[in-house]
Amino acid sequence: MDNTLTRRAQRTIAYGFLFFILISMATPFVWMISNTFKEQYEIFQLRPTLIPEEPHLRNYVRLFAEFEFHKHFLNSVFIAVVHTASHLFLASLAGFAFAKYTFPLKNFLFLILLGSMMVPLYTIFIPLFVLVIRLGLVDSYAGVIIPGVAGAFGIFFMKQSMEAVPDELLDSARIDGASEFRIYWQIALPLVRPALAVLAVLAFMGSWNDFVWPLVVLRSRELQTLPVVMAGMMGMYKMEHGVVMAASLLSTLPILLLFLALQKQFLAGLTVGAVKS
Amino acid sequence: MSSASIVEDRGLRAWWSRSQRKVMPYVFISPFYILFIVFSVGPLVYALYLSLHRWPGSGPMRHVGLGNYTYLAGDPVFLKSLWNTVYYAIGAFLFILPLALVLALLINSTLIRLKSLFRIGFFLPILTSTVAATLIFLMIFNNQFGLINQGLALLGIPALKWLDEELVKISVLAVATWRYTGINVLYFLTGLQSIPPDLYEAAQVDGAGTWAQFRYVTIPQLRPIALFVGVVTMIGSFQLFAEPLLLANGGPNDASLTLANYLYRMGFTHAKLGYGSSIGWVLALIIFGLSFIQLYLFGAFRKED
Repeated sequence: MDNTLTRRAQRTIAYGFLFFILISMATPFVWMISNTFKEQYEIFQLRPTLIPEEPHLRNYVRLFAEFEFHKHFLNSVFIAVVHTASHLFLASLAGFAFAKYTFPLKNFLFLILLGSMMVPLYTIFIPLFVLVIRLGLVDSYAGVIIPGVAGAFGIFFMKQSMEAVPDELLDSARIDGASEFRIYWQIALPLVRPALAVLAVLAFMGSWNDFVWPLVVLRSRELQTLPVVMAGMMGMYKMEHGVVMAASLLSTLPILLLFLALQKQFLAGLTVGAVKS
Repeated sequence: MSSASIVEDRGLRAWWSRSQRKVMPYVFISPFYILFIVFSVGPLVYALYLSLHRWPGSGPMRHVGLGNYTYLAGDPVFLKSLWNTVYYAIGAFLFILPLALVLALLINSTLIRLKSLFRIGFFLPILTSTVAATLIFLMIFNNQFGLINQGLALLGIPALKWLDEELVKISVLAVATWRYTGINVLYFLTGLQSIPPDLYEAAQVDGAGTWAQFRYVTIPQLRPIALFVGVVTMIGSFQLFAEPLLLANGGPNDASLTLANYLYRMGFTHAKLGYGSSIGWVLALIIFGLSFIQLYLFGAFRKED
């Protein structure tokens, strides 16, 4: 009797704490969404309103009309799609090689690969920028995309799932005279589609949310991505909070939808690297 | 002539069909190493070279030996940014990680249902960009109309200045807690779920209570994932950049400035590329050193594990 009572008390405390944290974490989202429908004075007023008193869409209209949100949205889409596609290709190709071949220096090269993840971004930030200028890539999408396209984590991640591809399949294709690249492209790659989906979400998210590197590389306003433009809106003399919140919401939406659509595979796959290492 | 070339062609083909399995793996991995050398190793070495010079980004460089580094040791703003960065890192280890571990233990316990609601709910904040997240929190922390101060006012508590010198670091940590707790909950949950259940059963047979099970089964079994989480958190918190920049522009009075912020300010705003690079190398040495210490403490170098 006493035992069930303490268990009930424990359960109440546990739920109470979890819901407290969950509500705390949800509040900024709710506040953001609510403010996108408010006039500036309503955001400023002393008693916060959850449901806007006079909801309207003027913040969204201004976001597109004055700040050309759609153009920057498309810039972000273009960069993120090209980055994701090239990253998936390079990472799966190298992951395939590390998982399915034995070759001299393999372990040594793989150790370098793991070590490369420790190079701090900000240590190489200034020289990287000098390099991008020398290569004539400043103020271009290539300058944003190319330096970060071959991430070691992606290779490590793809190697894990490529190891599950049966060797017999690859060998029988070899007997049929398929080239090594074709074996990768037509046999191995289709078998690791779930892992590719997880890596695609991660790569897309990383590129979509990237702020500092596009900030220094992209000089012309027409080329700039959403985070860069949004950070600029904040520095303005009179910050329009409703418009800024609308931009925050619309910029988060694609990632949110992508995540909710794939959350099962994503959450399962995300931690694969963590466990195996 | 023509028959000779056919023979040669056949020889080449035969050689290729014999050797492509040896050659192609190198071809497959070479893009990574080429890009890594050009865009990481090269810049890393060049940063070291730059850090020994004074250079405004154009014109001749002036060799100053270790001058930039000795200057750093007496630069009050650098020392302040170093302290702030350490503060954020300590905050992450004392606050974000314990919170994430407690949440993971609760979600994993038999007391709780709705497990995926909490898992997904805690994870959502990291999907926002740092820019969007900081913009939201800028409104939440606003001195006059911020949500927190409005809430305090309803309780009759006077407003606090969240973005002033005294509290700004706490506010930065709050944004970081909001964004990064969920991913660490997931890491810890993965670790907890990979503990074999028979270890707990054996402990129960030996008469171990809840606390003893936690102390002698859960904690030792979590060691690999704790090492991973620790290294990732350390590397991430030492490279904190966007939150303090956007929340308070590193201020007020450099109170929230991080090493990465100061490096950026020197390199890009003040065009002191050599000095900025020396900050970068100090940052790298700290990160390499702390990673090594963590790996050593967790026994990653011991053979028998």
